[in-house]
Amino acid sequence: MVMPLPSLRRLRPSRIIPPAILLVAVIAAGPDTARAAEPAVASLADARAAETLFEQRVRPVLVSRCQGCHGTRVAEAGLRLDSRQALAKGGDSGPVIVPGDIAASRLVAAIRRTGDLAMPPDEPLPAAETEALEAWVAAGAPWPDSPAAPTALSDLPLPARIAMARADHWAFRPPERGTPPEIPPSIDPAVAAAWAGPIDRFVIAGIGAAGLSPSPEADPRQLHRRLWFDLVGLPPPADEADAFVAAPTEEAYRALVDRLLASPEHGEHWARKWLDLARYADTMGYAFANQDPRYPFAWTYRDWVVRALAADLPYDRFVTLQLAADRIEPAVDPANLAALGFLTVGRTFLGNTHDIIDDRIDLVTRGLMGLTVACARCHDHKYEPIGTADYYALHGVFASSRIPDALPVIGPAPPGPEAAVYATRLAELQAAIPAHEQAVQARGSREAVAHAADYFMETARPAPRNADNRPPRMADSYDLQQFLIERLAALVNRHDASHPVLGPWVALKGRPDAELGAAVRDLLAAWGEAPPATVVNPLVLAELRSSAPDSLRAVAEAYARMILRAAPEMAGGPAPGTDPDGMAEVRALLGAEGTPLVLAQAEAMRVATVAEQNEARKRRQDIVRHEAEAPGGPPKAMVLVDADQPHDSQILIRGNPGRPGDRVPRRVPEILGGRELPKATSGRLELARAVVAADNPLTARVIVNWVWTHHVGSGLVATPGDLGLRGEAPSHRALLDDLARRFIEEGGWSLRWLHREIVTSHVWRQSSATAAAAAAIDPDNRLLARANRRRLDWESFRDSLLTAAGTLSTTRRGGPGSDPLAKESADRRSLYTRLDRQDVPGTLRIFDLANPDTAVHVRQRTSVPQQSLAVLNAPLVVEAARRAAERSAREAGGDAPDDDRIGRLWRAVLSRDPTAGERITARAWLEHEREADAAGATDFDRWCRLAQALLATAELQFID
Amino acid sequence: MDALSRRDALVRTGLGIGWLGASGLLAGTAAADSVGPAAPRSLAPRPPHFAARARAVIHLFANGGPSHLDTFDRKTALEKYAGQEVPGRLPTERRTGAALPSPFAFARHGDSGLEISDLFPAVARHADRLLVVRSMHADVPNHEPSLMLMNCGDGRLVRPAAGAWVTYGLGTENQNLPGFVAMCPGGYPIKGTENWRSAFLPGAYQGTYVDTRKKTVEELVEHVRHPVLDRATQRRQLDLTATLDRDHLAARPHDPQLEARLASMELAWRMQAEASEAFDVTREPKHVRERYGDDVQGRQMLIARRLVERGVRYVQVWHGEGQPWDSHEHIEKAHRKLAKECDQAIGALLDDLVGLGLLESTVVLWGGEFGRTPTIELPSPGNVTVASGRDHNHHGFTVWMAGGGVRGGTVYGATDELGFKAVEKPVHVHDLQATLLHLLGLDHTRLTYRHSGRDFRLTDVHGRVIHDWLA
Repeated sequence: MVMPLPSLRRLRPSRIIPPAILLVAVIAAGPDTARAAEPAVASLADARAAETLFEQRVRPVLVSRCQGCHGTRVAEAGLRLDSRQALAKGGDSGPVIVPGDIAASRLVAAIRRTGDLAMPPDEPLPAAETEALEAWVAAGAPWPDSPAAPTALSDLPLPARIAMARADHWAFRPPERGTPPEIPPSIDPAVAAAWAGPIDRFVIAGIGAAGLSPSPEADPRQLHRRLWFDLVGLPPPADEADAFVAAPTEEAYRALVDRLLASPEHGEHWARKWLDLARYADTMGYAFANQDPRYPFAWTYRDWVVRALAADLPYDRFVTLQLAADRIEPAVDPANLAALGFLTVGRTFLGNTHDIIDDRIDLVTRGLMGLTVACARCHDHKYEPIGTADYYALHGVFASSRIPDALPVIGPAPPGPEAAVYATRLAELQAAIPAHEQAVQARGSREAVAHAADYFMETARPAPRNADNRPPRMADSYDLQQFLIERLAALVNRHDASHPVLGPWVALKGRPDAELGAAVRDLLAAWGEAPPATVVNPLVLAELRSSAPDSLRAVAEAYARMILRAAPEMAGGPAPGTDPDGMAEVRALLGAEGTPLVLAQAEAMRVATVAEQNEARKRRQDIVRHEAEAPGGPPKAMVLVDADQPHDSQILIRGNPGRPGDRVPRRVPEILGGRELPKATSGRLELARAVVAADNPLTARVIVNWVWTHHVGSGLVATPGDLGLRGEAPSHRALLDDLARRFIEEGGWSLRWLHREIVTSHVWRQSSATAAAAAAIDPDNRLLARANRRRLDWESFRDSLLTAAGTLSTTRRGGPGSDPLAKESADRRSLYTRLDRQDVPGTLRIFDLANPDTAVHVRQRTSVPQQSLAVLNAPLVVEAARRAAERSAREAGGDAPDDDRIGRLWRAVLSRDPTAGERITARAWLEHEREADAAGATDFDRWCRLAQALLATAELQFID
Repeated sequence: MDALSRRDALVRTGLGIGWLGASGLLAGTAAADSVGPAAPRSLAPRPPHFAARARAVIHLFANGGPSHLDTFDRKTALEKYAGQEVPGRLPTERRTGAALPSPFAFARHGDSGLEISDLFPAVARHADRLLVVRSMHADVPNHEPSLMLMNCGDGRLVRPAAGAWVTYGLGTENQNLPGFVAMCPGGYPIKGTENWRSAFLPGAYQGTYVDTRKKTVEELVEHVRHPVLDRATQRRQLDLTATLDRDHLAARPHDPQLEARLASMELAWRMQAEASEAFDVTREPKHVRERYGDDVQGRQMLIARRLVERGVRYVQVWHGEGQPWDSHEHIEKAHRKLAKECDQAIGALLDDLVGLGLLESTVVLWGGEFGRTPTIELPSPGNVTVASGRDHNHHGFTVWMAGGGVRGGTVYGATDELGFKAVEKPVHVHDLQATLLHLLGLDHTRLTYRHSGRDFRLTDVHGRVIHDWLA
C-alpha cells in the first residue's frame, strides 16, 4: 500500500507555540490516573490487542484528523481528543462516546455523517479509518497508558526527522537550475521581450498571473541615485547625475555599475552590512571592574572585510578565511589573519566559555547557513532536524580553538618616532603580567605549604564539613583552597598503604586518635630496623620515628614538616643544598611545582585573592589601554588558533555544564551529511570547507538571498537567517535556486557578479511609483511589480549629511574607529564608527542600528518620532547644515545672487537642481527670514536654516 | 542509500501520517492570537490579550540588593541566634558567619498590620495598599546575572528587558514621549544599558535612559530642543520642510511610509514641547516638590509620576549608579542612609498616584535583584574589613507591589525561620514577571517574538501567574 504523503509544508508545527506549551502538551497526553473510560479488558492478551489496535490504527487517526481542532491548542466545542481523561470528560455537551456502544456514541455518528454533525468537517474519513474508530469504541474505547504519546514534532526520532527533512524540505536539497515559467499573454509583448534576463523571466510570470504588469524603468535620475546608494551607500555628485540623465544609455548604465562595483566605497558600504551579520563591535561588552572592555584591534577585521569585498574575494574564500585563516596551507599572507575577527569580535559574557562558543555556533550556522542550530543547546531542536549531538559536535570545534595570549602583528607600525616608544612601553607592561603571576604563585604556595597539615587533615574528612560546604577558614584567616584539597585527596586516594611516602597516611587516616599512637608503633615495628626505601621512604620513617605521633593531627604535621623541607624556596622551603636520601621521591610527589600544594605558575591565579585578581586585571587593562590609546602600535589580528589538545565535547544535558553526558565526535551537522572532522586539529578548516562546499544546499542560497534583500528591500526568503522548516517559504523559489546555482557555476562565488546580475535586471530597475491596481492587489509587493521605496539606514543617512556638508574625506579609510557623533569624526564614513556594544548611542539605536550581539542579516525598520526629533535637533544635523550653507557660499562666491546659492545647496543636498517651483518657494522663504536675521543676530542664519530644512526632507532620507 | 525516505521514516516511527496533519492545523490556528513577527513596529497603542488591570508600570529598583530582613521581613529568631552559628546556613557569594539581628525597629502598620521596619515610615503609611511578597527567589548570588534575570528574564544571554517586551506588546499611550523610560541618577547601574535593552526586539522598544542627577530638560532628554533656534524660527523652518515634502509626496501617491514620515515630523515637533514639559519638575508647585523632597530621589519620583500621568507605559526608577543597596559592610548606617534618601519620595509618589486616581491602573513594584543574608558577612582581604553587613541572598528575598489590581495589605509567602530561604509559596522571578504581564493584560506565554529560529518570551519556558495576588 502506498501511503498518501503529506506535503512538508503541513509538517511545520505551529509558528508560535512556545516550547513550554509543547512540553505541557506532552505532559497532558502522558499517563493519567483517571480511569473514567476504563476499557473492559479481560486478560493480558486482550490488553495487548487493545493497545495494538489503539496505537496502530486509532491514535494516528485521532492525531491527524481530530486533534487539530480538538487538542491542546484548540478545543472546538470544548472537546479534546488527546487523552483518556479528556475523552472521558467529553465536550461542552458531555461525553461523545459510550464505551462499547457504537449506536449511542455521538463520535461514531459524526464520523459516519449520519446525524446532525459531520466530522471531520471538510471530507469524510477513509473507510478504513472509520472502521478502526468504530472497532475501538465497540471494544470499550481502550486508551492504554503511553508515556511516549507523540504529540509534538520533537517526539519523532531525530534520524527520521533528518531523513524526512532532507527528502522533502526545499532548502535541504541542493539548488538546481530552473526553467522560468511561461509568460502569460496578458503581458505586453514588448515588455515580455525586454524582460528576457534570467532574473526577470522568473519574476514577470507571477506579475502577469496576478493580472498586473511590471512597472516601467525608473526615470534616469532616480535610477542613478538608487544605484549609487545600493552599490556605494552615498549620494551621487550632482554633476555625475546630470551627465547620466543627459545620456542614459545601456552602455553608460553598465559602465557605471562596473565602476561603482570596483570602487573602495563599494567595499565600505557592503562591509557595514556584513559587519551586522558578523555582530561586529569594538568592545567585549560588560566587563568587571579593572577590566578594559575594549578590543583595540577589532578594526583590523573591519578593514579586512572592506578590502576583501572591494577586491571581490570569492565568497567561498571569503568565508573560509573568516573561519580558518590560521589553518590554511600554505600559510596565508598575515594580513588575512585579520579575517578571523569574524569569530572573535563577539560578546564575551564575562568569560563564560559555553556562551562564547554558543555565540560562535549561532554565527556560523544561522549566520552563514540559515540553520538555527543554537536552539539545540539544551535539547534536540523542537522543530528543525537538528540534535544536541549536532550542537555539541560543533561545540567541540570551538572548544578546541582558543584566542592566543599574544595576538599576531600583521603589518608594520605606522611610520614615526612613536613606534619605538610604543614598543618599549608595551614590553614593560607585558613583563608585568608573569611577574605578578610569580608573586601570586609564591604567596599561594608558601601559604599552602604552611598549612600542609590542615590540607592533610581535610583528606581524612568523611563528610561535608559545614552548612554551606565551603572549605574552612583557619584561625590565621587563611582559607583552605578547594581545588588544592581535591588535588591532594586525589593523590592520596590513588595510593594504598604500601606506598613508601603516602602509605602510612593512607593506613592511619581512618583510625581514631585513641588508637593512633599504637598504630604508628605497629607500623614502625613491622618495618624493622632498616627497611628498604621501596617499603618506606627514609624521610617518612625518620619523621615518624622522631615525633612518635599519637594523634592524626600529629601525623599530618609530620608530613607537613617533610613537605616544607622538600618545597622550593619560593614556597618557603630551604635554599638548594644537598638532599638527604629519599628527598627526591618526596619532592616529586609533594614538593615540586605543580604537586598538590605547590602551585605551578599557570595555575597560580586560581588561588588569587580579590586584591590579586584586581591587580592582574589592572595589569592586563594597562596593556589594552596602551594598545587602544597609544600611537605608534602595529596592527594585530584578533585571531583564533587551535588548542594544544583538540578534543571532542560532551553533550551538556539541558545545556547545564554541571551535567555532562555523552562525548560526541566533532562533525558537521547530520542534516548536512554529518561528516566527521579531523581529530588532530580543531576541525575549523574542514568545517569551513563544508560550509562553502558546492553541494552545501544552504550557504549559496543564504548569501544570494542576503544580497538580494539588501538590493531589493525585501527577501526572496523573508526569514534570511532561517531557511529551515519554520522559515518562510521563498516568494520566488525557482529564482532563488537558479540564482544560487548560477552564483556558483557562472559567477564562481563572485559577489560582484551577483550584484551586477541584480542591478542590471529589469526587476531591480523598475520605478517605485505605486500604481493603484498594484497597491490594491499586492500591497506588500511580494510579486515585485515595482521597486520598493526605502529609507536610508543610519550609515547612509549620516554619510549623506556629511556629503552635503562637504566634510567627508574621500581618501581617509580604515584604522581605529571614531565617535560617530563627534564633530571631529565628520570626515569619516559611518562605517568607521567605534561601537561599544555595551553602550550603543541612543541616536544610533533609534535609527535601527543592528543589535551587535547577534548575527543580523537584515535590520529591523521602525518608524518612531524620535527619528524625526533627531532630524530636527541633533547636533550632527545642525552642524551639517551649517557646513552645507558655508560651502554653498564659498562655492558660489561672495556676491553671487541668492539664486546661485540656492541652486548649489540643492545640488549638494539632493544631487539635483531645484525645480522652478522650489526656487520660488526658497526665495520667498529666504526673503521672509531676512527679517528674522535682522531682528536678532544668530550664527545659524537663514542659509543654515534653509540647509537644515533641506537636510530634513523626506527626499534625502528615502530612495525612490 | 544512507538517507531514509520519508515514507520509511513515517513507517518506522509507527505513526503514519498522524500528527503531521495535526501540526499543520495547529499552525493555522495559532498564528492569529500572538504578537508575532508580523507585529507592528511602532509605538502605537495596541490592545492587550485580555482585559488589563493596569496600564502602566513603575519599577522602583533598589539596586544592589536591599535586605529583606531589615525592611519587610521581620525575623525574631535572629535575636535568638545572635552571634551564634545558625542551622541551615546556605552558600552565597561570600563567606558569612553568625546570625545578625536587624538593628532596626519593626512595627505593625495600617488595618492590615503589615510589619515594616522604621526604615520606611512614609511607605508604611500605605501599608494597606502593599502586597508584600516575602518568598521571592532567584538563581545565583551575584549582581550581574540577578539583574539580568530580574530585568530580562535570563541571567546570562542577551534578552530584551521587561519594559521592552511590554512596549512591544502594548505600544504606549503618548506618542510624544518614549514608551519605556529608565531613570538612574549619576550614571548607569551595574550592567548598564543591558538592563533596559531591546536585544532582538526592534530598537524602538529599548528603554530611554535618563540621568536624573541632571536638572535641565536639555540634559535630561536627548534632542528635545534645537541647539540654536527658538521655537518660532524652528517652526518656520519646519514649515518649509513640510512644503517641500508635500510636493515630494504628491508625486508619489499610495506610499504609507512617506505619509507616516511626514506625520512623524509634526509628531516630533509636538514631542519637543511635551517632553520638555513632562521632565520639567519645576512646573510643579513648590509644596508638591517639597513633599517629594527637593533632591535627586524626590525629583526622579516626581518625574515618574508625571510620565505615567502622561501615558508612558513603563518607568524604571533606579536608586543610583552602581549598586547602592549592596551593604556588605556597616549595613545599619548604609541602609539607614539609603532608605532616608528614597522613603519620602516613594511615599509622596504613592500619595499622588492615589490622589490622582492613577494607582488603580499603575503597578508600582519595589525591590532589588535579591536580598541579603541573615548571617553576618565575614571579613576577607579586598572585600570587607569589618564584619558589619550582610552578603547577597538569592535564596529568599522580598519585593512589594502596590496598585494595578494587586491585593493590598497582604503578605504573600514566607522565608524560613531565619529568613535565608523562601519556603512557603516560593515565587521565582519568572513568576513575578508572568504576573506583572498578566496585570497588564498580557499572557506571558503568548507575548512572543520570532528570532533565530524560535519564538522567545520574557519568561523563557518558565513562569506562572500568581492569581492570589490579584485583588
